[in-house]
Amino acid sequence: MLQPFFKWMESLAVYRSSIYLGPGVNLVHLVSMVTFMGALLMVDLRLLGTGLTNHSVKQVTRTAQPWLIGGLIGLALTGIPAMMATATQQYASNVFWAKMYILFTAVIFTFTVRRKVTQADEAHVSRVWSKVVALISIGLWLSVAAGGRLIMYL
Amino acid sequence: MWPPPYRAFFEWVATLPGSLYLREDAPSFFGTFLTLHVLSMCLFLGLVFMMDLRLVGVAHLETPVSEVQRRLFPWQLLGAIIMTISGSILFYAQPVLYWGKGFFWVKMLVMPLAIANLLVFHFTTYRSVAEWDNAPSPPFAAKLAGILSIVLWVAVLAFGRLVAYDWWTIVENVQ
Repeated sequence: MLQPFFKWMESLAVYRSSIYLGPGVNLVHLVSMVTFMGALLMVDLRLLGTGLTNHSVKQVTRTAQPWLIGGLIGLALTGIPAMMATATQQYASNVFWAKMYILFTAVIFTFTVRRKVTQADEAHVSRVWSKVVALISIGLWLSVAAGGRLIMYL
Repeated sequence: MWPPPYRAFFEWVATLPGSLYLREDAPSFFGTFLTLHVLSMCLFLGLVFMMDLRLVGVAHLETPVSEVQRRLFPWQLLGAIIMTISGSILFYAQPVLYWGKGFFWVKMLVMPLAIANLLVFHFTTYRSVAEWDNAPSPPFAAKLAGILSIVLWVAVLAFGRLVAYDWWTIVENVQ
């Protein structure tokens, strides 16, 4: 159903102006990913009861949040053209679609369930629930990263 | 310097039993260990960046520098160990390929600089951390170490990624 749309995206040839555009965009995608994952893991480790345990979850979240959001914006701004450049190949890849479904789930989870746990007063959140949320968050986002890497190999 | 030296050594590594096995009988090794390399990079570099941003004085300013360092270090180390193992296996399986990659050599030259930067910082500036532990804006030497760390590790990442392209490559028929 979406195939014409993917063909159209590829026909735009977003990288046509320079052979350095593809690798450059890719590099920014990776640096954004590292920044995003650093901010994410700092909070998730805190939820697991390690890392910056002298501070509340709320405090660690507040200080990590700009880097999480900045990283995510960088990932989206670079991931979209990277996908468009090879859109028909992506369309045909099961790993690409798996990555997109997991990404969708991860974004929803991060800005609903995880957000609620990280904003709440710790006294009102059970420790087990905090740890479960952190593990789901780490699992989802590492799967997204792995999916991105594996599109070329599976 | 180009073609690069020590070719015989890389060829010798390629004849070792594990290397031969990975290359010829385990086709999924590359995707597997490359993915592991990238995921452990998220852990290592992500948390190194978070610490560097504190050193530079732009993030986590309510947390003492020594606390960020101490609490994140075990996880950075875990990431570094998995990165080193997965990276070594990738190299071990196709040594002659990497011998012929200019960006691989550059990566291997920049990485010691990144490590030297963290060691120099740790054994000089960081010794006086008690004096500026709570300062939102650490002294210049600490900021410089933080900036150098970000720049050098991003360079390591960039050169590592560039190895995947055909540029600056000697193509070998035989491994």
